[in-house]
Order: sequence, then C-alpha cells, then structure tokens
Amino acid sequence: MLRATTLTGEPAAAAPTASTTTTTTTTTAANPPKPIPEEESYKLRFCTVCASNQNRSMEAHLRLSTATPSPFPVISFGTGSLVRLPGPSINQPNIYHFNSTSYAQMYEELQAKDERLYRYNGLLNMLDRNRNLKWGPERFQDWVPGLPRVDHVSKGDKGAHGTEGGVVDVIITCEERCWDAVVDDLMAKGAPLNRPVHVFNVDIKDNHEEALVGGKAILDLANRLNEAARQERRAAAAAAGTGTGTTTAEAADAEWENGTGDARRNFDERVPEILAAWQEKWPHLPALWTLAWL
Amino acid sequence: MAQSADHLVDQIAQLNAARNLVLGDAAFYPQIVNGVLPIIGARARLELRRWGAEFLAETFASPALASAQKEQLAASVLQAQREVLELPEGDPLVLKHIVQSAASLYPLVFRHIINHPQDGAMWENMTAIKQAILRRWDSSPAQIKICCIKFVQRVVQVQTNGPIADPRRPDQNETSLAIVPRNHPVLSLPSLEAEASGLLDRLLSALQEESSDPLLVNATLNCLAVLVRSRQSIGNKIINAILNFFPARQVRPPITPAVRIGVKSMERTVRAVLDHIMKRNASHPLIRKMEQRRNARLDIVDEATRKRAPPAEPTDGLDKTKRTKLDAETPPLIKIPPLPPGPTSFAQLFTLTEDAGLSGFDVKQLPPDLLVNMVVPLLARVDQSALTQSIDAIRMRYETIQKRQAAQPPAAAAAADDDDDYEPEYQPMDVTEPTREQADAVATEVAEIQPDLVSLGPFVLPQPPPLSEDEAAEVGRSAVGRVFGMLASSAVASNPAKGKSQQQPGFARLAGSTFDRDAWVTLLTRLATRAPAGLETGTGKFGQDASSRGQATISNTIRETLYRYILEDFRGRVNVGIMWLNEEWYNDRIQMEFTASRRRPEDEEATVPLFYDHWVLRLLDGFLPYIDSRDTKIFIRFLSEIPEVTIPITQRVASLAKDPERVNLCVQSLLYLIMFRPPAREICLNALEHVYETYEESRPAAGKVLARWRPKEAQPQAEQQTTLATRGATTGNSAAPVA
Repeated sequence: MLRATTLTGEPAAAAPTASTTTTTTTTTAANPPKPIPEEESYKLRFCTVCASNQNRSMEAHLRLSTATPSPFPVISFGTGSLVRLPGPSINQPNIYHFNSTSYAQMYEELQAKDERLYRYNGLLNMLDRNRNLKWGPERFQDWVPGLPRVDHVSKGDKGAHGTEGGVVDVIITCEERCWDAVVDDLMAKGAPLNRPVHVFNVDIKDNHEEALVGGKAILDLANRLNEAARQERRAAAAAAGTGTGTTTAEAADAEWENGTGDARRNFDERVPEILAAWQEKWPHLPALWTLAWL
Repeated sequence: MAQSADHLVDQIAQLNAARNLVLGDAAFYPQIVNGVLPIIGARARLELRRWGAEFLAETFASPALASAQKEQLAASVLQAQREVLELPEGDPLVLKHIVQSAASLYPLVFRHIINHPQDGAMWENMTAIKQAILRRWDSSPAQIKICCIKFVQRVVQVQTNGPIADPRRPDQNETSLAIVPRNHPVLSLPSLEAEASGLLDRLLSALQEESSDPLLVNATLNCLAVLVRSRQSIGNKIINAILNFFPARQVRPPITPAVRIGVKSMERTVRAVLDHIMKRNASHPLIRKMEQRRNARLDIVDEATRKRAPPAEPTDGLDKTKRTKLDAETPPLIKIPPLPPGPTSFAQLFTLTEDAGLSGFDVKQLPPDLLVNMVVPLLARVDQSALTQSIDAIRMRYETIQKRQAAQPPAAAAAADDDDDYEPEYQPMDVTEPTREQADAVATEVAEIQPDLVSLGPFVLPQPPPLSEDEAAEVGRSAVGRVFGMLASSAVASNPAKGKSQQQPGFARLAGSTFDRDAWVTLLTRLATRAPAGLETGTGKFGQDASSRGQATISNTIRETLYRYILEDFRGRVNVGIMWLNEEWYNDRIQMEFTASRRRPEDEEATVPLFYDHWVLRLLDGFLPYIDSRDTKIFIRFLSEIPEVTIPITQRVASLAKDPERVNLCVQSLLYLIMFRPPAREICLNALEHVYETYEESRPAAGKVLARWRPKEAQPQAEQQTTLATRGATTGNSAAPVA
C-alpha cells in the first residue's frame, strides 16, 4: 500500500511538465524560460527485462521512470512464453498472455478470485503499481526495435517520453536466463537498425523484497551510465566550440587537448569500469554485460 | 549569443516536431528528409549536425519506412553525408550516426545499383563513404569503431553469396552477391568478393589480437552470428575464429575489477553466440567443438571472483572456506572396499562402490544415446586424482587375482579330467562368440582371463547353424565314439557285478534299462541296426556300396567301430558280438518282411541290404587267426549263440583244421553244432567230412564223430547234400532269404 501511494504521488507531479512541453526526445524536464544546454538534460534510454514483465522489470521501470531530478525514458519487457503469476498453490499458477492482457484486467480478476490471498502475497499491490505504470506486460521477443512507440506516450505509459523512436541505449535484464534470451533474440533479429545497445544483467531473486533492492541498484547503474554519456557529449560539445561549427579540424584537436581524465574517453569504452565500480557497491547482485546490436 | 542560442532551441524544437510527425506517420518521411537536409548540412551548427545525423540514421533503420522509399531518399542523403565526411568531420557523435546510416544504406544502394546500373553517381558516393569509413576504422574513438565494425559486417554480408530463395522472383531474395548478374557493368563480382574476404579477415582480427578490448570484441561477436546463419561459405571460418578465441588467456596483471568484468563478458558472449548457432543448426559439423568450447569453464574469471570475495566469517580454524582449500591441496582418498571371498566376477572386480543399489543397477536398461549424453560430459569433468586412484585400485585387484590364478591351473585341469558328468566341457572359446557379436570391447579380456573368473548369468546357447550332411555324419561319428569311450570306461566297474546281476533278469527284462555297460551295448547295436532302417535302402548289399563311395553311413560307422571294439578283446567281448549279430539277423528278417509286405506284383524284385552274413564272416575272419585251443569254450559259445550258421561259416571253422594245434578245436566246435544245432547238422557234417578227408591230423577225432553221426553207408547221401548246399546261398535252420 505504501508503494501505491508513492506511485500515485510522483508521476502525478511529473506528468504535467511532460504534457505541457511539446513532446521532445531529449528535453523532457527542460524549463522553457531558461533553456538548459542539451548536454545537461541528455538521457540514455533504458529497457528493463525480466521473465514475466511483472515484478523485477516493473520495479526497475518504476524507479527509472520516477527518477529525480528528471525521469529516464524507459520501456520494459518479459522474455517468458507466458505471464505467470503465483496462484493458490504451486501447480495452479495464474497464466496470462503477453501483449493482450492489461495489468488492470489481471488486478480485477485476481481481486475477484481471492482478494485476501492476493492481497496477502503482494500480487494485488504489485499489479496496482504496474497498472499505474503502463497498460500491460509486453514480450521482448515480440518487440520490433525501431518501430515508433508514439501511441505509448499518448496512453500515458510512464517513461514513454523519449522512447517514441522505439529504440533504447541500454537493456537491463534481471536474471541470467533473461540475458541469454535477450542476447539470443537480438542476434536472431539480425540487428536491422545497426545500432549498438549495451545489455546488462543484474541478478535479482524473484520476490518483492529483492525486487525493491534490485530496482534501487538498477537506478544507481542507470545514473552512473547516464553521467558518463553526458560527460562525453559535454566534452565533445566543448571541444567543437560553441556554435561556430566551421573549424572542425581544429575542434577535433581541441577535443583531445581540453578533455581530461574520464571525459576524454567515451561512454561506450567506460562501460566495463562503470559496471565494475557499481559491482563494488552492489556485490550481492552479480552483473554481466555485453555490447549487442538492435 | 543568447539570441542565437534561442534560435537554436527553436530550430531543434521544430525539428523534433517534424520527427514526431514522421514517427506518427511514415508517409511524411520523403518530405521531411528532403526538407531538413539543407538545415543539417556539413556547415551547419554542431547541434543541428548531430540532430541530423541521428535522424537520418533513424530514418534508414526504421522498419516503418519501406525500402523502396529509402532507396529513393538514398541518392540525396548519400551526397550530403559524403560532403560531411569529406569536410573532416570531428564530432564523434555525428560520425557515429553517419556510419550507422551507411550500414543501413549499403545493402539498399547495392540492390539499387544491381537493378539500375546507370546510377553510377550513387554508387560512387557510396563507395566514397565506404572508403572514408574504412580509413577511419582504426584511428577512430571506440564509439565510432564499434559502428565501423557493424558497417563492415554489413558489407561482408552483402558481398558474399547468400541463399537464393526463389530464382524467379529476384525481389524476394536477400541482398547478396548471389543476385548480382555476372556481366554487371558497375559491380565486378571478383573484386567485390575479394574485398569482402579481406574485410572479414579484418573483422575477425579483433578476436586474434594480443590484448582484446571487450567493447570491440563483444561488438564483433554479436554481429558475427547473423553472418554464420545466412552465409554458409564463410560460416566455418567465423566459427573457427570464435573457437580459437580465449579471452581469459590474454589477461595480464594487474587484474582490476573492470578487467575481470571485461573477460567475463567476452566469455559469456562467446557462449551466447555459440548457443545461438548450435540452437539453429544442431547438425553442424563443428557442433562438438562448439559444445566443448561452450562448456569450458571461466577458470580465471571464476577463480578471480572467488579470491576477491570477502570472507563472510572470520577466517578461523572452523571456517569452511579454509577447510575446503586444504582439501583441494590433498585430494580426498577414495575408499576401496576389499573383494569378497571366493571366485571374483568381472562385476565385482570393477565395482568400487559399496552401495548395493548402485552396483546392482543394470546400465543396459538405459538407451545408448542417453548414456553417451551422460558419459561424455561426465568424462570431461571427472576428477583426475579420483580416476587415478580408482584405476590403481582395480589394477591391484587384477594383479592379485592373476597371481592367485597362476598358482591354480594344474589343480583345475585335474579336476576337469575327473569330472565325468555328462556336462560338456566348458570351453572359453564358446563364450567369446556371443560377446563378440555385441561388439563389446571387453571380449578380448574375457578370453584371456581364466574361466572361473567369469560368473555367468543364465546363458542360452545360440541356435546352431544347420548342419550339412557331412557335418551331421561327423557329429554322429563323434557321438558314437563318445559312447564307445563310455563302454571302455565302464567295463571295469561293471565286470565284478556282472556275474550276480546277469542271473536275475529273465525274459521279462528290458534291454538297456540298467544303464550299465550292457545297456550301452544294446543301445549301440540297435543304433547300428534299427535306427537307420528304411533310410539307407538302396545303398546296396552290406552297405558296401555306400562305404566304397566314401560316404560311410552312420550305421556302418557304428558297425565298423563295434567290429574293432570286439576284436580288441574278443574273448571278453564275445557276448557283445553275439548280441550285435543277433540284432543284425533280426533286423534283416524284419526288413525282408517289411519289403515283402510293401512289394506289389508289378514291381521288380526289391532288394534289401543284408548285413548279418557279411558281418558274421568278417568278425569270424577277424578273430579266427588269434583263437587257440584254450578258447574252445568261447568259440563254441559264439558258434552256438549266433542266430544262423551258414556254409561259409562252417567252411571258416573247417579251415581251423589246417593248424594241427587247432584240429581239436575245429572238430569239437563242429561236433557241438552237430549235436545241439540240428538245423545246421547236415552242413556241419559236410564240413567235418571235408576236414576228415583233407587233414590227416583230424582223422582220429573226426573219424569218431563221423562214425557216430554219419555211418559209412550214408556217404553218397552226404555228397548229394554237399552239392545241394553249394547251389543255394544258404540252407538250414531258417527261411531262405529273399535274394
């Protein structure tokens, strides 16, 4: 219940800004009167993945889409064949199809079935959180990268702003099995976009408590990655000079002279280090990474 | 400055609005792309160039925009991007997106040129962009490099032969070298192919370098899978490159956490790529190598992780991690249970476990392919020290048993000789036959090791192959030989009892029911005489024709053997001879009656092979030379008990008189026959008369007999009798045989 209140609170505050500014990809939190440089507001686009697109990926989805000071563009998926939720016993799970059943439907159905049980085991709380985030669970294998997702913005999916183009920069899975499925599926799709994507796995046990911790850790990882990407853009912009754009050859040289430390090195290259530093802080969530193609 | 900044923000906002428009409806793309191209040109502001480059990359990658439209847009965009590249563009983000668009454009342009060779300018632009990208590949920062890798992969994919799905509809086929006409004016097949081959080598070099950057390696690995899948001609080359890539080997200290993550990510990506390939091509020739490589452990990484893990508890003596480490240094000893007493079976020899359930489990219940699936991974991860210990233990056991056996054989052989049961002797060679059929590698060992090591389960002899006639005869002979062996061995034992037992049975006794020597003799004689009755008709009289053809029948073999058996000790075995000859005579009668009853009037005279006459003379001839005056009783008994006395027999007896020492034997035998065998009386008297006239030495004895049985006046009558007798084959005590 506590989660539900934070859910209804924060997005309500974030939503007006998003809807008043014209739908822009990179300046989601920008204030019209005083424009923040593009580099400062730059956001990586994320995708969170677990087995059923219910618990772990949705907790991370919540964290990323409600991040302060500005939310991350985020979409989420499940890699399983069906959405499986615990039922009255271990061999009587509640099973739903991906892409065709909404969280709201599931919520109502389970509430009608046995409200006490599903309230007690946290399923209703979880579905309540989810139905406030987006319409329903989506299957990763059915995702067509690059296919515009403008309709998700109009539906009011949290984190949809910035993902209109249907592409992401980072995929974070919550289980090694899902990471394998994602990497395999991306290879199977044949990388039609020719666009690099970092695929991480953060191993999280599938329960509510671990999902909370995992969500926090994923937000931490996202912040670190985004900071590195922003530094890269800032360094490149500074090197190129402000607004002239004519002496590009000199600018290229200047980039190497002015850049310092991490800033000199680009975001992609720094990913292993960032992940290593993150892992030091979160030693109980074993991480994995690769660079794949969308 | 502020104004221009405001202006810029406005411009970007407008552009974003335009982008949203096309994202909502792809039909606007041509209009928008052509509209923004002047704004984002080579001399525009950095922000605009960045936005433009990204937008174009998105446009040409978009699944929402049809390739035909992309092809139409390509010409103008290529020109613009070429200009950007040629004005040495410095911003890595712009470059990155240009390379991305080029990767998407290359197959489109290639296909367009195949169908429109006249668009030389477009191909020229594309080639120029390709050259610019390849030039920058090595020197660019990493984020551009990875996009170059992807671009090169696209070029390789396009410029190698791909599958032709349907030759009649070229538009359905994937863009590849295979759909380029041989005589294309712009695209030269050999040079394109050569370029692709060179680029592939350059691509794979990322996996062969001394120190590998995880970012570049992962980028390469993740785009190789599609090449393996869709380009068979280069698939094996790529797989081999992946198989020979071991990131863990290239690790140099210091091993920072970042290095560890890099190595682990490369290993896991290799595994993911191999899994991807194996899943889609389970019958790939390199599948086994791929499985091996896939299952190889991430040794360095894992070990490093283990070392790095902070101790969860204080490392005191009770700490578990410390104890396991000690264990690892001295491998645990395997408990070798002693062999159970008594003869050891192979199963016992090789069983090291004491678990009854485990050792009783029959592995043959499992299907072989399942076993292979289990055993191969098991062998791969078997503990070396445990294996060595186990092998040593088995070797020790084996040598002990060998020593024990080396001491035993003489005793075992003696025991085998004494063994007189009807169990055929156990021969190890018989055992190797079925085991070889199972292609069991152990078969050779079985033959080498002493038979008492083998504990056989229920053993069913395989059905023998059908015997040929010769083989059957051979087997029959050996069976007969074995029965004679029995006779010889049981003779001594049964002799003492004979005197008593022979008196008891009267006429009611059943032949061959006592299982002593006599029983065997009865069996043999009847085997010889009656068993093949009716089977060997037509072999001629006395079976001589058959034997002369070299095809001695089984019965004749028995006869021959009986004959020799009797001659070996005719004094002791005369009763065998008598029994045999009686059986022969009886059989002859039966055969004659049988043939006569079957005979129809129109038939020619049927012939029945008669054995009695032949064999009685042969037997007589056989032992007459050895008989002496002391054998009178035996000889008389023989003559009196054989079923029929014929003229040739009396002639043989008469011939004894040649020897002065045996004259009495001759006369007494004849006298006995004259006195007690009335049917043969006349021919015996004739024989005696002949003896009387021929041999002077016999006159005293023979004279008395003749005086009593044939007085002088009867002389002419006797002569008449003699001529009569010589005319017929036989006369006397029974019906004349059917000739």
